[in-house]
Amino acid sequence: MRPWLILGALVAASPTPAQWLNYPAAGIPRLPNGKPNLAAPAPRTNDGKPDLSGVWDVLHNRPCPPEGCADMWIPQEFLDIGWGLKGGLPYQPWAAETVKKRMAENRLSDPNWKCLPTGIVRMYTTPLYRKIIQTSGLVLILNEREAMYRQIFTDGRPLPEDPQPSWTGYSTGKWQGDTLVVQTSGFRDGIWLDANGSPLTESANITERLRRVNFGTLEIEITVNDPKAYTRPWTVKLTQLLKPDTDLLDYYCIENEKDGPHLSGN
Amino acid sequence: MTKTLASLMLAAAISSAQWLEFPKPGVPRLPDGKPDLTAPAPKSADGKPDLSGIWTTKPGYTGNIAKDLKPGEVSFTPWAAELYKHRQDTQGKDDPQAYCVLSGVPREHVVPYPFKILNATSGRTNILVILYEALHSYRQIYLDGRKLPKNPNPTWMGYSVGRWEGDTLVVDSSGFVENNWLDNGGHPGTESMKLTERFRRRDYGHIDLQFTIEDPKAYTKPWTVNLEFTATPDTDLIEYVCDENEKDLKHLVGK
Repeated sequence: MRPWLILGALVAASPTPAQWLNYPAAGIPRLPNGKPNLAAPAPRTNDGKPDLSGVWDVLHNRPCPPEGCADMWIPQEFLDIGWGLKGGLPYQPWAAETVKKRMAENRLSDPNWKCLPTGIVRMYTTPLYRKIIQTSGLVLILNEREAMYRQIFTDGRPLPEDPQPSWTGYSTGKWQGDTLVVQTSGFRDGIWLDANGSPLTESANITERLRRVNFGTLEIEITVNDPKAYTRPWTVKLTQLLKPDTDLLDYYCIENEKDGPHLSGN
Repeated sequence: MTKTLASLMLAAAISSAQWLEFPKPGVPRLPDGKPDLTAPAPKSADGKPDLSGIWTTKPGYTGNIAKDLKPGEVSFTPWAAELYKHRQDTQGKDDPQAYCVLSGVPREHVVPYPFKILNATSGRTNILVILYEALHSYRQIYLDGRKLPKNPNPTWMGYSVGRWEGDTLVVDSSGFVENNWLDNGGHPGTESMKLTERFRRRDYGHIDLQFTIEDPKAYTKPWTVNLEFTATPDTDLIEYVCDENEKDLKHLVGK
């Protein structure tokens, strides 16, 4: 089963949107058969920096059940952001208790099913597309989910000292060689990093290191430093795959939310 | 008054001053340091006017987008006349916005919250993005010469392509949802709606917008609205999550 099955499921909900989704973008390296050459070198902007622009999907690293993949084919990190870490996430005792409680309640308090914002980490692991638009001074991430956007200021401004707490936080980025290093703080309490309910608190700051290793692959290393919830900073690495010749569709959770009635706790 | 709106929003956010007051380089200034809103409009690298910035719409059109039009200029089809009357009679009870669903286009042009126009026309990307603070949403306008799709997937924002006519950006859109509300009053829009917008940045601080609605299912003839956006430099959008603090529904009971 391949990632495009998810796209197929999304498309199935709306008759004949093919034209919308199949616009061949200019500037994509092609193989002799016309297909995008995803192994070609990463593109660069006019100033010589790698260009992270493109529509990106999660790496589908979770096996599908025998009956087939779900419409929303989640990656391992969607359930457990610390899936790849030996020994799991270094929770503070209260955080470990919180995760246990959230799981025992069958995720009743998950902001996700209430159609609230997912926050920046979970946005990367949600199996819906996101589009990066890199401009001079600003990197923009547009997400299909809830039409949420995120701004990463690359114009040299410092992080605010006491920002207004928000789901998305306040982000600034700067280039270190070919890697865009993004610092984010200003989170609100109550953010879930994964479906297990791993918490993020107002004390958190997050560092992301984004590197486009080739035309078709984006590596995102995320370091979460949240001493209130975790005994030490921890780092996970996510892989995103380019979806060329397509674009974002609308996905409004709020318009068709079906989870709530089924989430009754225990 | 545009300033009043901005200060109301500020009042809602305690000590957020630092967030909102990043003085942007490149803004023309008066001797007292304030932005000079009557300075010439900036240009992009390609010589076209640059529409980038944080903008606020001219207030007063939220309830009725056709406020300035003369009687008869908005000419409903019988079906739309009945729908509009129903929406008025039930006092907006079914307004999608009350359920935190997007405002869509052109309603976003009359919503009293700031929005950010981002000119992503350098390098490999050639689009204009509009980020809306209200309901935290975005819209893409393709400037790469593509045509409008013939049968697009219906969305609240529609599918938009733009081209320059002199100093005016002309944007054609279609592919809108059937159950569109163009304002709080409930002017209907349908899947048959075609929208033409003409954006002209007449100076640093102002964009004149003229848009024409052509929707044969709802209106017997096209109609045109003129609006004005004012720049609000040195600030940025803050997060607006309707779903987190929704207070409208219980008051919307119809009659």
